[in-house]
Amino acid sequence: MSGWVGRIVEVDLSSRERNTVAVSEETRRRFLGGRGLGVKLYTDLCPDPIDPLGADNALIFMTGPLTGTTMTSGRYQVVSRSPLTGTICDSSSGGTFGAALKGAGIDGLIVRGRAEKPVYLAVQDGEVEVRDASAVWGLDTQKAQKAVQAEISSKASVACIGPAGENGVLFAAVMNDKDRAAGRGGMGAVMGSKNLKAVAASGNKPVAIADPAGYKDLTARLDRIVDKNPVTGKSLQVLGTSVLVNIINAHGMFPTENFRRGVFNDAEGTSGEKIAETLLERPSACYKCPIGCGRTTRTRTKRGEGPEYETVWAFGANLGISDLTAIAEANYACNELGLDTITMGGTLGCAMELCETGAWKENFRWGDSGRLLEWVTGTAYRRGVGAELALGSKRLAAKYGRPELAMQVKGLEIPAYDPRGAQGMALSYATSNRGGCHMRAYMIAPEILGHPVFLDRFSTAGKAELVALFQDVSAVVDSAVLCRFLQFAVGISTFAEMLRTVTGLDWSDEELMTVGRRVYTLERLYNNRAGFGRADDTLPPRFFNEELQTGSSRHRRVGLEAMLVDYYAVRGWDLRGVPQPQTLAELGL
Amino acid sequence: MAGIIKVQFFGLLRRRVRTDALDVEGGDVSVLTLLRRAEAGAGRIFLDELMDREKELLGGTIILVNGENIRLKQGLEARVRAGDSVALFSPAGGG
Repeated sequence: MSGWVGRIVEVDLSSRERNTVAVSEETRRRFLGGRGLGVKLYTDLCPDPIDPLGADNALIFMTGPLTGTTMTSGRYQVVSRSPLTGTICDSSSGGTFGAALKGAGIDGLIVRGRAEKPVYLAVQDGEVEVRDASAVWGLDTQKAQKAVQAEISSKASVACIGPAGENGVLFAAVMNDKDRAAGRGGMGAVMGSKNLKAVAASGNKPVAIADPAGYKDLTARLDRIVDKNPVTGKSLQVLGTSVLVNIINAHGMFPTENFRRGVFNDAEGTSGEKIAETLLERPSACYKCPIGCGRTTRTRTKRGEGPEYETVWAFGANLGISDLTAIAEANYACNELGLDTITMGGTLGCAMELCETGAWKENFRWGDSGRLLEWVTGTAYRRGVGAELALGSKRLAAKYGRPELAMQVKGLEIPAYDPRGAQGMALSYATSNRGGCHMRAYMIAPEILGHPVFLDRFSTAGKAELVALFQDVSAVVDSAVLCRFLQFAVGISTFAEMLRTVTGLDWSDEELMTVGRRVYTLERLYNNRAGFGRADDTLPPRFFNEELQTGSSRHRRVGLEAMLVDYYAVRGWDLRGVPQPQTLAELGL
Repeated sequence: MAGIIKVQFFGLLRRRVRTDALDVEGGDVSVLTLLRRAEAGAGRIFLDELMDREKELLGGTIILVNGENIRLKQGLEARVRAGDSVALFSPAGGG
C-alpha cells in the first residue's frame, strides 16, 4: 500500500486490549484519512452522541495519506465529540507528530476506555505500548514532552496535555512538538478524561510512494509554486499570520472588546510588522515545510512560540490590551498549560463585558494586561474565578443571565473576524460543523484578501454556494492531510495530483470535491443526532441587532437568513438543516 | 483643489518603502497617478509589488481609499481627493 501505512490501532485503556482496525480501500477512497477517516471511524464507533468525557467515548488521532511526505504535512487531526460544544469535532495540529506516527508504523490511533492511573502511549514499529505516566502527570506540556522523550527516545515526537487537560478544562488543547496545538474544541479534556497524558511516536518508516518519478516532478513543481507565490513564498515567513492585524483592522472588522467595535486603535502596536521588529527571534516551520509561518519569539524574560494572528487578537484587541509582551507571555502560558488561546481570550472578553454590565460581580476590566497570566493559570487549574472561565463563554454568560454576551456559535468562541464585515464569513461561522470557527470555510480569502478571486464582502449574493464549496475543499485538505496555507498557492487539481502520485489511486477533481461534501455531510448527520439543527446555525444577536459604529464596516449588520436558506438548498438539506435522503444516496451515506 | 493625501504602507511593502506613511500632494487624481507620485516621493520603486506592467493590480493586492477597496470602484482609475487616506497592502495571508 502506498500513502497510507495500512495500520490503525485501537487501544482500550480500561482493559488494555489492543486491536488492529481494518479499513478497506473503498473507505480510504471515500474518506481519505485525517479528518474524513477520523470522523467516519468515530461515528461508526460512537453513532449515538455520548458523554464526551465518559469512558465510552472514543478519541482518535489520525494522519492522512499525504502526512509524512514533503508536501507540507507533518500534520494530524484529533477527532472526537467536543465537551465544549457537544458537536463532532476535529482539531488539527502541525509540527512533526503526524509524520512521526506514520514513521512509527501506524496511520492512526483510536483510544477508548479510561485508565485506572495516568498512562501514556508509546508507538514504535507499529506497536502501541501502554506505559505508566504517574511521574509525568501534573507536568506542563514542555516538561511532559521532555520527560516522555527521556523515557522513549530523544527523537520521539510527543503529543500531550498539560494541567488544563488533566483538570478537565473544556477547551484544553493537545500540544505536540513543544508548542504546536490541536487547540479547538477541548480534545485535551477528552484525553485527560481517559487519564491519558501523552502519546509518543518514534520511528523512521518512510511513506511508500506509488509513483516516485511523478512525485519527484510534482514536489519540485510545488516548491517553485510555493516559493513564487507572494503569500506562501514571502509574506507568511517574513511577517507571520499576524500580518492580518492591520489588514482586518483597516476593514473595520477587527473584533475589539468582545466584538463591540471593529477598529482597535492600538492595532499597529500588535501587528505582524511590529512583532517582526520586536519579539521575533526567527521564523519556524513544521515538518519539511518551505513556508515557515511560525514565530519563535522572545520577551525580556521568556522565550516561546507565537503569538499567531488569532492569539494576538484574542489577548489583544478582544480584551482592549495593546501590550505585546503581555500577549506573548499569555500565549506561552497557554502553550505550557495546554489551553486553546481563542476560547481563552473569547471567554475573558465575555467575562469583561459581564463585569462591565454588572451581571458578574468580579474584577475583569478591559485592558488589564497585568492579570492575564493569573487568569490563564487559574483557568488551567480551575482555581477561583478560573473554575468558571474553564467552562467557556457560553456556560459563563448563561450562568450570569446574559447568554447574548458570549460570542460563540454552537458553544465555540468566534475567532478574529467580525462577521458584520464579511457576509460569507458570517454564513461560514453559522454553518460550521464544529461551531464558531474560521477554518471550515475561510471566506476571508475571497472577501478580504482577494484569493482566489475578489468578492464584495458586504454582498450576500452567491455566498451560499461558495461557502459550501470552501467547506468541501477544506474537508479534503484536512483529510489528505495538508497545511491549509497551501491553498493560497494551489487548488483541488493539485491536491488530486498529489494524492495520485502518493497513493496510486485516481480521483477526478469532482470526485475529490465529493469526498469533501461526504465528510461535511457525515459530520452534519452526527450533529443532527446530537440535537443541532437550523436554530443552531446562527450567530450571537449582536451581529444582527447592533451596527458597527466606526471604521469601514460601519453601519453593517449580518443578513443571514436568505443565505442560510440558499445554503441548505445548495447542500441538499431540508429547511430544518437535515440532509435529505437523496443527498445521502448521492454521497453513499 | 490641491491638498494632502495620506498614503500608508503595510506588510512587505512597508519594508520595501522603509516608511509606514507618506503625505502626497494631490487634488482630484487617479489612484495610479497618486501611486506614481508616492513612489517619486518615497524615492523607492514599489509599484511592481502592487501591479503588473499592464497596470493591472496583482492578485491579493489590497488598496483601500478611506477604507473602501478600489476593486469595487474603478480600480486604479478610481479618484482620490485631498484629505483622503489611502492604505496599500502587498499580497498577504494568514488564518
